[in-house]
Amino acid sequence: MTASTLAAGTATPSRWPGLLRRHSAMPLVIAAALLGTYLWVRSSRLDDIEQRSLNATTLLRLLRQHLELTAVTTVVVVVLAVGAGILLTRPALRWLAPGATALANIGQATPAIGLLVLLSIWLGIGFTTALIGLIAYAVLPVLQNTIVGINQVDRSLVQAGKGIGMSPLAVLVRVELPLALPVIMAGIRTALVLAVGVATLAAFINVGGLGELIVTGIKLQRASVLVTGAVLTAALALALDWLGGLISDLLRPRGVA
Amino acid sequence: MTDDVMISLENVSKRYRGQKAPAVENVSMTIRRGEIVVLVGPSGCGKTTTMKMINRLIEPSSGRICVDGADVTSLDGTELRRRIGYVIQQGGLFPHMSVATNVGMVPKMLGWSRRRIDERVDELLHLVGLEPGQYRNRLPRQLSGGQQQRVGVARALAADPPVMLMDEPFGATDPLTRDRLQNEFLRLQEKLQKTIVFVTHDFDEAIKMGTRIAVLGERSRIRQFDTPERLLAEPADKTVGQFIGAGAALKQLNLRRVDAVEWNEAELMHRDESPTAVLRRLDESGAWAVLTVDSERRPLRWVGPRDLEPGQTSLDGVGIPVAVVEPRATLQDALDAMLGAGCGASVVVDDDGRYRGVLDIESLMRAIRDMREVERDRDRGMAEAPPRLPRQSDGSRDSASVRTLESR
Repeated sequence: MTASTLAAGTATPSRWPGLLRRHSAMPLVIAAALLGTYLWVRSSRLDDIEQRSLNATTLLRLLRQHLELTAVTTVVVVVLAVGAGILLTRPALRWLAPGATALANIGQATPAIGLLVLLSIWLGIGFTTALIGLIAYAVLPVLQNTIVGINQVDRSLVQAGKGIGMSPLAVLVRVELPLALPVIMAGIRTALVLAVGVATLAAFINVGGLGELIVTGIKLQRASVLVTGAVLTAALALALDWLGGLISDLLRPRGVA
Repeated sequence: MTDDVMISLENVSKRYRGQKAPAVENVSMTIRRGEIVVLVGPSGCGKTTTMKMINRLIEPSSGRICVDGADVTSLDGTELRRRIGYVIQQGGLFPHMSVATNVGMVPKMLGWSRRRIDERVDELLHLVGLEPGQYRNRLPRQLSGGQQQRVGVARALAADPPVMLMDEPFGATDPLTRDRLQNEFLRLQEKLQKTIVFVTHDFDEAIKMGTRIAVLGERSRIRQFDTPERLLAEPADKTVGQFIGAGAALKQLNLRRVDAVEWNEAELMHRDESPTAVLRRLDESGAWAVLTVDSERRPLRWVGPRDLEPGQTSLDGVGIPVAVVEPRATLQDALDAMLGAGCGASVVVDDDGRYRGVLDIESLMRAIRDMREVERDRDRGMAEAPPRLPRQSDGSRDSASVRTLESR
C-alpha cells in the first residue's frame, strides 16, 4: 500500500512571529495615549482640588480598586457562565438554554447605573453590591459564547468521539471545549471590556475605582481629572482586551483556523 | 454454528418520540465472525440508525442486540464502544490533534503506557500505508482525503477490536481514491479477519465489499440478505431488482476478481537486454510486444516492434508503461486500468509488485460474455419486463431501456 505523499512539512511552524505581528500595535497605542495625557497634565498648573486627585498614591489606589473589581468579576463570571454554558449544552439540559439566555439578557438590557442603584437600595452600598451588579452585567456574552461555541463544534466529531469510546466527560474536555475555545475566549474578552467600563459606575456607590476621577471631574468641573479618569479607564480596557487576545491566541488549539 | 455468530439483532425497533412510524422496525439478522455485512439501501431507510444501535450510539426502543454473546444493553455504553471500532465519513478525525494523538486516543483511554501507545500508533500507521516518521505529527488538515480516511481506519483498529462499524467510510472521496481505499481495505481485512458492519448507499460498493449484503427498504426492513452473487443472480423481488439496477451482468465485473479468470503469459525480457534481442524474441514468439522487467521481475513497459528504431542501443524509456492490477482487484478495476493506460492488457502483480501474469481484453470480454449469457437466460424466464422507474444509484438512465440495449 503506497501513500500518495503530500509535500513534506512535518514540523508546524512556530507561532511566535505571527503573534508578535498581530499583537504589537496595541501596547504602542496605549503607551502613546498615557504618555500624552501625562505630559498634558504635567504641563498645566494644578489647583488644590486637582492635586488631591492627580497624585501617584491616589491614582494607584483607584487603579488597584478598579482592577480588583474587574478581576473578581471576571473570575466569577467565567466560572459561572462557562459552567452554566457547558451544562446548558448537555443533551439533558439543552431545552433550558433559551430561557437561561433570556434571563442573562435581562441583566445586560437593564441600564447598568439603574441596576447598581436598585441593588444598593436592596443590599446597601459596598463592594459586594458593585460586584453583583457587574456580574449580572457581564454574564451574558460569556454564557452566550460558551453555548454557541460548543454548539458550533461539528456534531460528527462529537459522534466520532463517542463512537470510538470516549466518555461524555472526555468528549467535553478533549473535543468540545478545545474546539469551542476561540469563541468562548471572545466572549470573555467582551465581558472583560464591559466590566472595566461598567466598573467606573461603582464610584456612585462608594466603591472607588477610576470612576471616582470621572465623578469628581464632572462634579467639580475639573477637566484634567475627568480626562485622566477617562483615559486611564480606556487604557485599562484596551490593555486587558489585548491581554485577552494574546491569551486566546496562545490557547488556540493547533489545526483550528 | 452459534459460536460462529458475532452480532445478532432480534426484533430490533427504534421509535423516536413524536414520530408515528418507527425509524427501524423489527429487524432481525445474524452476522458471522469475520464477515463483512453491508447494509445498503436508499438514504433515509434507517441503515445508519440500525448500525448505530449495535454500539448504542442510538438506544434501541425494543428488541435485543448481542455482540460476541453479550447483550449490549447489559454493558456500559462507553466500555462497549471501546471494543467496537468505529469509522465514519472522512475519518471523523479531531482537527486539533496530531495523527498520532487521534490514533492513540482509545489506547490512552484504556490506560496503556505511553510507550505501548507509541509503538501501536506506528504499527497501525504502517499497516494503513502511511510512513509513521512522516505522518505521525501531522495535523488532519495537512492530509489528503484518502490519507485522512486511512488514519480513521487506523484509529478504529487501535485497540484491536473484534468488531468494526463503518458508516459510509469511503463516501467523501473521489472515485479513484475510493477504489484504492476499497482495495487496500479488503487486503487489510484478509489479514485482520474482523467482523464488519458496513453501511453504504452505493450498491456497487456493496457488491465489492460485502461477504453478504442486506438490502434494506423503508424502516430498515430487510428485503434480501444474501451473498453478492446470489443477490445479482436472484433478486428477491422487484424492488431489489430495481435497486440493483440494470446490467446486473456488468455489475458482476465488480464482483469477479482478477484471480478468477484465466491469465496469459507475456514474453518477459530484462530491461538491460539489447533492442536486437527484443526484435529476435518478437520474431520467434510472434507476440505483439515484449514486457520489460527489472531484476526483481517487476513489470516496466510493453515494447513492440514499432517502438524500436534502427540503431537504438538501449531499452530505456521505450514503449508504453504497463497498467498493473493485483489478483484481488475486480475485473472492473482491471478494465479501468486498461482504459487508463490505453493498452488492451493489464499485468497482474503480487503484493511486492512482481510479475505474475497478464490479463488481456480478450479474456475479460470472454468473462463478460459468459456472465451475460447467464443473465439473458434468466431474463427469458421472467415474463414481465421490469417497470419503468429510475434506478436508485443513477437516476439519469431508465432501467427498461438499458435492459433492451443490453440484451440486443
